[in-house]
Amino acid sequence: MSATAGKTPTPDQQVEAELYKKRQKIYPREVHGIFAKMRNLAMVALLGIFYGLPWLNWDGHQAILFDLPARKFHIFGLTLWPQDFIYLSLLLIIAALSLFLFTALAGRLWCGYACPQTVWTEIFLWIERKVEGSRQQQMKLDKQPMSARKFRIKATKHLIWLLFSLWTGFTFVGWFTPIHELWHELITFSLGPWETFWILFYGFATYGNAGWMREQVCIYMCPYARFQSAMFDHDTLLVAYDEKRGEPRGPRKKSADPRELGLGDCIDCTMCVQVCPTGIDIRDGLQYQCIGCAACIDICDEVMDKMGYPKGLVRYTTERALKGEHTHVVRPRIIVYSAILLFLFSALVYAVATRVPLELDILRDRNTLYNETDEGLIENVYTLKVVNMTDKPQTFKLSISGLKDAELIAQSDEIKAPSGEVVSVPIRIRIDPENLPSSGNDIELHLESLTQPGLETTETGRFLGPMPEL
Amino acid sequence: MQKNPTIYKDQQELPTIQRVISVLWPSFLVASISTFLFFAVFDPIDLGRLAGYPELTRIGGYTIGFFFFWVMTAFSCGLTCYFRKPVHPPTIK
Repeated sequence: MSATAGKTPTPDQQVEAELYKKRQKIYPREVHGIFAKMRNLAMVALLGIFYGLPWLNWDGHQAILFDLPARKFHIFGLTLWPQDFIYLSLLLIIAALSLFLFTALAGRLWCGYACPQTVWTEIFLWIERKVEGSRQQQMKLDKQPMSARKFRIKATKHLIWLLFSLWTGFTFVGWFTPIHELWHELITFSLGPWETFWILFYGFATYGNAGWMREQVCIYMCPYARFQSAMFDHDTLLVAYDEKRGEPRGPRKKSADPRELGLGDCIDCTMCVQVCPTGIDIRDGLQYQCIGCAACIDICDEVMDKMGYPKGLVRYTTERALKGEHTHVVRPRIIVYSAILLFLFSALVYAVATRVPLELDILRDRNTLYNETDEGLIENVYTLKVVNMTDKPQTFKLSISGLKDAELIAQSDEIKAPSGEVVSVPIRIRIDPENLPSSGNDIELHLESLTQPGLETTETGRFLGPMPEL
Repeated sequence: MQKNPTIYKDQQELPTIQRVISVLWPSFLVASISTFLFFAVFDPIDLGRLAGYPELTRIGGYTIGFFFFWVMTAFSCGLTCYFRKPVHPPTIK
């Protein structure tokens, strides 16, 4: 960090130094300000959703539950089955495209405010600050040799981190198995081995990522951090240092006139470096390690205020604006992303709104094309697969149409299908050959729920017979 | 590569942690996606029954599936890492 003050190494030397450098722990200084407030707000809201939502009930079941053991997803009133895979895929594609759009518009908003890695690191840092104290106190403590006091402080911190991580792991599993049952199993020590494993696994991942790995996850592990620059252009909002205004940097007295000293507005207090959670110097220009958290904006504004200079030496801006040009918000890239997004979103809304939670598959008996009965009727045999994708048991009535005087023969007039089950129903259809226009005919099977009016579907099957006599 | 031998050497000597991450992490991501896609189609209970393990629970099936995918993809990433080592061309005498 202090290297910036000395001779600047050549880029090659820098690359080499970075590759060989052992990671130094970063102690981000606590920061207050408008963006810190927004980040805290986002953190409270997102963690609130993560820890709170699984406990919310809706219509007798967990409001949002990706019930893996039962292979069905509850999203408030909507129940999705593996057959509805397409909706989830569509939702994921929409999420990815939104990320592209937001990145093109406002840079790494996701990284700075909403990414779980940022949010959990933030809360872990908060715990660390509560236990170990300020940045200086933390650094001093780490330099000290192990003592009873140091051990006590470190043990307390890790204990709180671990408990918090375990609770996180428990909540995570609670998104995928009913959380109330899980809680009951937990307090009666009757958790299943797989559930226990996943609670520990996710808990450990939280502890490791938010407690130890931190910014390394963003720098080395995050695929988004690597490709987000592809969405960037000269009009993308980013956190940047106004070099023209700041340079040449240097310390000065508050009373001194920087112009007389030949200095820019940057007083080289290195506060922006101290608050940075990824340990970079924003004054070195646009760097892919920058997660756009705006902590440096808050702290620099504070310093500028104290110096009596205008705010915004480090600010949200665009490359174009820094050059003194006009920033274009509406540009081809944004229009294309928005159009695709709007189309996909409409498709999803339409698909969900018109979704019929009932499926009928008609499987013809493969062994024989058709039978002839003693009365001279032509008979086809089918197996119907009825899938009830509602969350209530249903009774269905089956009817046929499309061929004159077709007779439906089934074991029972009604088909009962429990919630989420696939029911196989063998049926026979008989027709007088005189009513068959050709050897292969379409026949419509109509399935209608008696339990839930309006729940119905129609499928077309093939009815085979002899060649009609001419 | 010949122009800049230092960078060449550096790639060989990436920090161990970064090499470990480059094997375990992409495989983890791909294994997660594979697990998701695979089990969207196949029910672990059916698979367990077919394989002769009727007592297998769904969560158990997902877990085994996930780790199977992870081990296999990690193996693949590991091989990629291994084959990245340069082969010295035979010297012509």
